[in-house]
Formats: sequence, C-alpha cells, structure tokens
Amino acid sequence: MSDALAKDQPIVRLSHISKTYQQGKVQVHAVNDVSLDITQGDFAALCGPSGSGKTSLLNLIGGLDVPDAGSVWIDNVNLATLSHAKLAEVRKNRIGFVFQAYNLIPVMTAYENAAFVLDLQDIDEAEKYQRVMQVLKDVGLEGLEQRRPDEMSGGQQQRVAIARAIVTRPAIVLADEPTANVDSETAKSLLNMMAALNEQQGITFLFSTHDQHVMDKAKRIIQVHDGKIADDERK
Amino acid sequence: MKLNQLAFRNIFRRKRRTFITAFSVAFGVMLSVTFTGTGDYTYTNMIDTGAKMGMGHVTIEPLEYQNKPTLDKRLQKTNEILQQTRALDAIASAVPRIMGQAMFASANKNVGGAFIAINPELESANNNLFIKSLVEGKMFTSDSKRGIVVGSKLAKKLRLKLGKKLVYTTTDVHGEIISHIARVTGIFHAGVDAIDGNMVLMPLKSTQHALGYTADEVSLIAVLIHDQRQANLARDLIRTLPSVQGYAVLSWHETQPDLAGMIAMDKSMNYISQILVGLLIAAGIFNTMLMGVLERKHEFGMMMAVGLSPSTLFRLVMVECFWLALLGLMLGIIITAPWYYFLYHYGIDLSAGMGNDFTYGGVLIDPLFKARLFPESIMFILGSVFTLAMLAGAYPAWKAGRTPPIESLKTI
Repeated sequence: MSDALAKDQPIVRLSHISKTYQQGKVQVHAVNDVSLDITQGDFAALCGPSGSGKTSLLNLIGGLDVPDAGSVWIDNVNLATLSHAKLAEVRKNRIGFVFQAYNLIPVMTAYENAAFVLDLQDIDEAEKYQRVMQVLKDVGLEGLEQRRPDEMSGGQQQRVAIARAIVTRPAIVLADEPTANVDSETAKSLLNMMAALNEQQGITFLFSTHDQHVMDKAKRIIQVHDGKIADDERK
Repeated sequence: MKLNQLAFRNIFRRKRRTFITAFSVAFGVMLSVTFTGTGDYTYTNMIDTGAKMGMGHVTIEPLEYQNKPTLDKRLQKTNEILQQTRALDAIASAVPRIMGQAMFASANKNVGGAFIAINPELESANNNLFIKSLVEGKMFTSDSKRGIVVGSKLAKKLRLKLGKKLVYTTTDVHGEIISHIARVTGIFHAGVDAIDGNMVLMPLKSTQHALGYTADEVSLIAVLIHDQRQANLARDLIRTLPSVQGYAVLSWHETQPDLAGMIAMDKSMNYISQILVGLLIAAGIFNTMLMGVLERKHEFGMMMAVGLSPSTLFRLVMVECFWLALLGLMLGIIITAPWYYFLYHYGIDLSAGMGNDFTYGGVLIDPLFKARLFPESIMFILGSVFTLAMLAGAYPAWKAGRTPPIESLKTI
C-alpha cells in the first residue's frame, strides 16, 4: 500500500488495527482487527459498554497510542510512519481533542485556554484574537473570556475545551465522553452546540460515549463490543 | 500565552511550597555568603598580616636564601631593583630589609631571637605590622645608630624598658662574630607570642654598617601589593625585570608554605561545607519540581495530546525551575544583604572564646568574625546556586517530556 491515499478518501481510515494491553499477567485485546472510515462532516458516536475499546480506538485515531497491527491514516498520512515529534505536529494541526474531565489549564483564563494550541502553532496575535473571540462566541462564552476554570461551571469549562478543540480548524474533533461529567441539561446544550458546529461549519466529530443523548443526536452510530465493530449505522 | 509567562504562573500554583523552596535557596545563599565571605575576609587578613610581618606578598631575595637564610647571602644594586619594582602598577610598596638571627643581652639576661633591619622612612603602619603594633616609645629614625624596637615579651624577658641598653651579637657578611650596643626606643606588641618574644627592629643603615654590607646591599626586598590574590601575577611580572635576574622572586605561597597549606586546607573544608549546603538546596528544588511534575502528569498528558512537543514541555519545566531559582536568589539577596552589611561593618566579636591567643598557623588573626566578598565570589555563589537549581530541575523536566501522553492521561 502506498503511503499517500487519494484525495477523495476519508479523513480517518483505520485498516485492520489491533491493540493489546498487558494488565498484570492478563492480555487484554482492547482493539481487535478494526477497519473503519470517518468521512468529512461525520457526527459519529462510538458506543458500547465500559471496557469495550471505545477510548482505545479514539487514542489510536488521535495518534496518542500506536497499534500493534494495522495502520491509521489521518488526512492521507499514515501515522505509523511518523516520529513522536511529527505525531505531535499532526495532533496540533489536524486533530481537536475534547476530554471527559475538561482538562483545562487552571492558571489560564478561558481565552488563554482556547488559544493554547494556536500559541503552539505560532499564529500571529491579531489572527489569534479574532479566531479565539469568534470561537468563544460560537460556544456561548462571550463575556467570560477572562474567567479561569475555577470560576466557571462544568458545562462552561467543557465549552472552553470544545473551543480549544475547534479553534485550530482541525480535520476531526475526537471527544471522549464529553458529556459524562455534566448534568443532562448541560449535556443537551453541549450536544446542540456541537451539532450546530457540525451543521454550520462542517466540523467532523467522533465521540466515544454511552450517553443516550449523544447517541440520539449522532448521525452515525458505531457499536463497539470486545474491541470489534459490532455495528455501523448511519441515520 | 508565552512559555515563560505560563511557567511563572505555574510556580505560584502552590504558593506555600514555592516560597518554602525559595526560602531554602535564599538561606543557602545566606550560608554560602557567610562561609565564603568570612573565608575571603580571614584569608586576606591572614595573608596581608603575614606579608606585613616581614617577607611581603612577594619577596626578592638571593638564590637559596629561602632554604638557608644566612647573612652572607645578600642582594646587590638594591636601589635599582627597588626603582624598577616600584614602577610596576600592581605594587603598593617595596621595601629593603635585612633579616637575621642574633643573641640579645641585657644587664640581666641573654636571649636568642631574630632581627629585621628596616628603613623607617620607607615603612609605615600600613605595610609593617610592628610599626602598627608599637605600644611604647617611638620608632627610631633612619639615621639612628643605636635605636632598637623590641617585642613586648622579649623586653619582659630581658627586663628592658625604654632607653635601656641592649647588646646584640650576630655574624657579619664574612661570618665573623660581631657585637653592638643599641638603646631601646620603642616596644611593640603584635599579639603573637613567637613575634613579641623573639623579634626586634633595627635601623637599616646602622645594621648594614655593622654587618659589613654596602649601602646598596640587603637580605631581601619585601613587596606588598594592593590585592593579595594577584601575588603570583606580581611575582611573574617582577621576574621579568632586568635587575632581578640572578635572584629569586617568590610569592607568599612559597615563602610561607605553612600559611599557604593551612589556608588551602581551610578552603577545602569550606568548599565541602558549601557543597553540602548546595546539595540541600538542590534536594529542595528537586523535590518541589518533581512533585510539581508528578501532580500535573494528567495536565501534561493533555498538553502533549493537543500538540505540545516533548522538548517544549521539557523547556516549560526548566523555565519554571528558572523562575523558582530566580525567586530564591532574589529572596536570598534580600535576606543576606543586611546580614552581610552587619558582618562587613561590625562583625561578631569572638575574642571571649579565643582567650589571649589570636593566632592561627603562626599568623595573627582578627578575633572579629567579619565577612568580605570578592566580586568573583559573589558571581560564583549566585552562579553556583543558580546552576545547581537548574540541574536539580533537569530530571523532573526530562521525566515530564519523556512520559507518553497516553500514559499521562491515564493519571487522574
């Protein structure tokens, strides 16, 4: 297989990937021969019970982990061919991450957290300001730019995390249980917001979740069981 | 947000821990300043005092005089040597002296001792410890034929008082025994038994005459310099003078090897103490930085996940270490400045604990515990503490950058 995929290929392509972890004396097959395409504009959810391999799959797609077998392609680039530094570049420029626990930097304001990756990209100040302010407005945090994480609610913090993920205009946003730590109203609001971003700006989202709200809202449901894709349904 | 700005905020996440660490650095600076400052002061004091006791910081003398200082060995063309030596920038003074052994006899007793013949017009309390220590009478004049200044203990042994006669017996330039009468014009008390009980000062001219020296001949020339640290440099400079060719030019390290050895040993002990202090500082910084890294492992995992490179993360932790070290140094300067001011200007009087013997290694020392830092010592202390702090932060920084983000993100 050549290293470069054709341009009409999906944003993410998983080709027969497997991942096994050693837990004490037991080997756990977290991901088992999974092949999957995620295309531009997808609003997809990886669903399944705890320990089914959803997060492992997200980690492999995000270049945070390396498969034991198979290959992961992001935007025509085979991640297996990249050094740690190049992988960091891909994550910085092509992937947005939203974590279950928000993972904001506590000494930074909402504006600074949202701008964090742009700082890593060395975007000039004027453009950075314009993009961050716009994205904070898009996620409903206008006027809260100078608040620090400990001055915001869980929902507001997750909005900042989403702002941080989309401000770089990534090829895909990987969201690991993004609504797990917020109440159902906030979860709905966050989902509506992400759905709007998907609809209006064409941002591709891939969630791992067992939240019914997310599954209801997702346009594509990928069921994961025992490290395998059990079902892949587009609504 | 820039890296150094983020690092600066990070060190104040745990204010109490940061300040405890910074204060440990600060007290390290204070201890180091105390050790080094008192060392710099004491060593300089001892070296300068030793130099003023006869041989100078640099000595110009006949070859082999060091091994066998007899009166038949002498410098010639002294005036020419003095003229050329004094013309050098580093030189504070250069004075001719005759030094030798003699028997001193009063009406009551005979005692063996040593004499230094000096020209009082060329000497002062600044370059001659005996003149500085004059407690009775006055210094003889340069033309005095019979004046003599004796040590207080020697005077006591011989039951001498001002104006009393003293007979000294020594050998002349040809090895013949000679005796001359002198009259006590002054008594000095340096505080060192070996000096006060053995030494006398005599006029250079009359001594030259008595020993059969010409007016241009002396035992040695004692050279005093402004800064004792430049002794070897001054020695090397003097060695290049045409007039000293054929003579030995030695620094105080060579003429007073006991003192040099003792100072070297004391310095070594001082360094060991300072290394221990440095290790304590390093341990404090290491602990703080490592704790800071371990408790932010999850956060670092997120930062690396979103694209922060391992090398940038290493830099971030090192910049935090830089700020912590800088804070510690600034606090160190703030708390050390008044302490150093006190030690520099007033000192702590240790005479009560030292009794009457203010000597160490045969050299008079100041019973005041004072400090004086050379500029290079200040740079050394600040540089060492800073370097140690940065080194102590290197492992936590390396560990932070080396942990894969997937591992760090598992940490809650």
